[in-house]
Amino acid sequence: MSFRRKLLIVFAFTVILCVAAVTWIVSVATRRAFDISNDERSAALVAQFQHEFDRRGEEIASKVEKIAQSEAVIRMALAVSRAAPDYGAYLNEARTMAESQQLDFLELLDVQGTIISSAQWPAKFGYKENLASAPIPRAAFLRQEELPDGAALSLSVMRKVDAGEKPFYVIGGKRLDKEFLLTLQLPAGTRVLFYQNLGDAFSPQSLIDPSGSVRQTDELSRLVRQVQQRKEEASAIVHWSSDPAGEETFHALPLSGQENQLLGILLVGSSRRPYVELRQHIRSAALVAAAVGIVLAIVFSSWAAARVTRPVEQLADAAREVAAGNWYAQAPVTSSDELGELAETFNRMTRDLLEHKERLVQTERVAAWRELARRLAHELKNPLFPLQLTVENLLRAREQSPEQFEEIFQESSATLLAEIANLKTIISRFSEFSKMPQPQWQRVDLNDVVRNAVRLFQAQLQSPGKPSIECNLQLEASGTVAADPELLHRAVSNLVLNAMDAMPQGGTLTLRTHGEGDRVWLEVSDTGAGLTPEECQRLFTPYYTSKTHGTGLGLAIVQSVVTDHNGKISVRSEKGKGTTFVIEIARNTEKLQ
Amino acid sequence: MRLRSLRLLVASSLLAASLAGAATRPHYGGTLRVVMRGGAGSLDPADTTQGDSLTNWNLSRLMFDTLVFVDDRGNPQPGLATSWQADPGNLRWRLNLRRGVTFQGGSPMSPYTVAASLRAANPSWRVFPADDAVVIELDSPSPDLPAELALARNSIVLRDGKGLGTGPFFATQSVPGKKLVLAARDDYWQGRAYVDSIEIDLGAGFREQMISLDLGKADVVEIAPDQARRATGGGRHTESSAPMELVALVFARDPQSAEESRQREALALSIDRGLLNTVLLQGGGEPAGSLLPNWMTGYAFLFPSDSDPAKARQSAKDVGQAISWTLSYDTSDSLARVIAERIVLNARDSGLSLQLKPGSTADARLVRLPLASLAPNVALKRLAAGLGLSQPKFANQSAESLYWTEKALLQSQRVIPLLHLRFAFGRNAAVKNWTLERDGSWRLDAVWLGAEKP
Repeated sequence: MSFRRKLLIVFAFTVILCVAAVTWIVSVATRRAFDISNDERSAALVAQFQHEFDRRGEEIASKVEKIAQSEAVIRMALAVSRAAPDYGAYLNEARTMAESQQLDFLELLDVQGTIISSAQWPAKFGYKENLASAPIPRAAFLRQEELPDGAALSLSVMRKVDAGEKPFYVIGGKRLDKEFLLTLQLPAGTRVLFYQNLGDAFSPQSLIDPSGSVRQTDELSRLVRQVQQRKEEASAIVHWSSDPAGEETFHALPLSGQENQLLGILLVGSSRRPYVELRQHIRSAALVAAAVGIVLAIVFSSWAAARVTRPVEQLADAAREVAAGNWYAQAPVTSSDELGELAETFNRMTRDLLEHKERLVQTERVAAWRELARRLAHELKNPLFPLQLTVENLLRAREQSPEQFEEIFQESSATLLAEIANLKTIISRFSEFSKMPQPQWQRVDLNDVVRNAVRLFQAQLQSPGKPSIECNLQLEASGTVAADPELLHRAVSNLVLNAMDAMPQGGTLTLRTHGEGDRVWLEVSDTGAGLTPEECQRLFTPYYTSKTHGTGLGLAIVQSVVTDHNGKISVRSEKGKGTTFVIEIARNTEKLQ
Repeated sequence: MRLRSLRLLVASSLLAASLAGAATRPHYGGTLRVVMRGGAGSLDPADTTQGDSLTNWNLSRLMFDTLVFVDDRGNPQPGLATSWQADPGNLRWRLNLRRGVTFQGGSPMSPYTVAASLRAANPSWRVFPADDAVVIELDSPSPDLPAELALARNSIVLRDGKGLGTGPFFATQSVPGKKLVLAARDDYWQGRAYVDSIEIDLGAGFREQMISLDLGKADVVEIAPDQARRATGGGRHTESSAPMELVALVFARDPQSAEESRQREALALSIDRGLLNTVLLQGGGEPAGSLLPNWMTGYAFLFPSDSDPAKARQSAKDVGQAISWTLSYDTSDSLARVIAERIVLNARDSGLSLQLKPGSTADARLVRLPLASLAPNVALKRLAAGLGLSQPKFANQSAESLYWTEKALLQSQRVIPLLHLRFAFGRNAAVKNWTLERDGSWRLDAVWLGAEKP
């Protein structure tokens, strides 16, 4: 993966991470703020409900007081306390009184709680109401009213009339229904539902809102059941549909009666639409920000990558040029930062390398000259010393033994000629090295070249009186190559000669050829003493030799030939096990065209 | 001097007597204002959609006559028919028509018009004119045919597009269900009515009627049965009929099991009819264990009407799993509502499950049905029809036959009689010669208006 792509991914990831984190934080903060606002609205609504509850209670109390103090009730109380009540006479009394005071419920009870007259259920005369044992409360209280067609919840007030010998009771109230809910001033986005608790099980018909019955009740049933079981406040988020904007948070408040029985549940619902819409806005903004951020990340990363990678790429190009041999390659310095310093350092390095190289070349040149001089001196010293001795011997013989001079002369002349011939040979070799010809390209079978070279040395390999060297040919290269057969023959011969020299005690000489694609390989292995790594490193240096009688030009010639054939030569050796030279050359078929 | 004084005394006494006589003597003229609760949708008495109601009967009698009238004892009396004879077997009846009777507008009543009118009201009858009579042939014996001919639906109507009758009044203005204005016929065969006209406001509630009466805006009003005692106590002139309206619980179907049958028995025993009458009706009726009232049959006491909550509870307990019933009533009838509510309470006390279902289809319904006739057999037939029971078959015209027939109807357990209510009316003091028949019907043609201020 490129640096630019990595940089892009890092930037994009960072942007997305930041946007996501900000979005999450904002969402959480928004939700908390909304929840707090929601709680405040619910609390306000509950307070309003309580206020309305109290206000209505006072209103009802006032009306019930009026009824309790009315002449009709006092007369009734007196009559009932004295004799058995004439229910027929009072049948519609309660209804008339309730209508006059605009009460929904009114019951007139004797001391035992027997209904003398009932507005809400006139036919219930003579039945007993369950009067609470607790003292009669002054304030209004919740009460469940039994009705012919079910039950209803009322806000009721009870008053005692002490007109006769026995007390008489008046219980009046107003129905807690949708009309009551309609009187509540609801903030926008909120609504109030009321559940009349008529039993332990949830009854959908008992759940009403200001418009009447509630259609979808299943979603609220769990909340209602929770309050029914725990008899304490509860809240829940209700999902009416798959649309999250339709969600509502409901707070359920238990409403208890005089004896602490759960009579109703007030459900305050707050729409979560504002929150959901805000959350969607935040998410949309986050998505837009992320998209913009990613675009910016791409642009910025491209710019940053360009700023960073262009100098690096230029540096890499310069390095490649240097590797290709252009020691004068320079990386442009475009900034003063680390990359600029790096380019500067690279340029300084190439300059230093060039200087070092030139210095090394000069040093090597001097060393080569010295080595050449040493070789020449060494090579020339060997024949010159016999020459000097022979000439001195001739002079001594002419002075001291003229009679033997002729004979000595003859012998010395032969010696002189031999040594002079030796000198010529040495000189011709040096001359030959200096005059390595350019290859004359022909179609050559590498295997034939190898066979010819081996055949040349066949006699020496099996020379009597010397340890024999076994020659092993593994000629697997197929096809031909474009090469100069003479130069190639000379190179192979030199390698074979070196191998033979490396095995004075005999051994196995292995020559192996093989090809693959447009390249062929030749390996020449011996089983001699092997070379040290240092020797391997210097092996191809001209005039370097590890032998006592060599000129150090053999392998240099081989390397020269191989290089001229666009190939390369390498050596691998292991001390005590032998050495293998590997020549790899191209088939060079284009040279034949 | 003494003689002169005596003459003056005699003269002044005669003058005073003549003035007093002028105040009580009938005189013609004036408009009688009547306010009624019911509303006549149609003035045609043969309109079967209206059912038997006292309002319709009273309105019908103002404009139409029947061939036969039934007296207070339930006996047929001549009306437009002067006499009648039945062939043996009571399958063919001949009714001789009164002569000189005309419809409003002057058209004479003929056997043809009478036969046409009866055919329209009774499609199953074969009615045809015969000289000055009409002959009615029936598919089955009907010894009570004369009493049936006294029913309002058998009033004689000339259906020439207007629906004219032979009655003492004719309609001059009619707004169905709201108002009806009648004018007296000068050529009525029984003589002209005293009042010139009658204005009838329809569809007014009992309270509204009472207010109208108290304010002098109405001369005659209906009074709810439960308000009759109180209305009388208020110094008003009130009249009540004999108990002529049956209040009963009617089940939609026969008992489906022995358990349900026992539960219906338990329900009948659980209802305290006495309290219903004394408290809810303020004595405006009588507890009923039979369909027909005791004054009509004389045997109604044989059908028990007393409640027995203990026995009811035991019966309900013996049955085990209580069948849950629903009970409906006419939501526009406050009296029906309060009676139904009390019945529910009584039933619950006995461990029965009865749930109110106002106005809608239910297992049982609380009904109020007026007795259509003072003739017991006819009244029972009409009640059976009104309650949706099978038509009773009488073995003969005896009281015993009537008893067994009614008992058979009650044993079907489709109906639980509760009360017989009286019809009550209030009138102001200016209404003179007011007579209320035993069945609650009026004779407004005999009424005249005095000069008293309300």
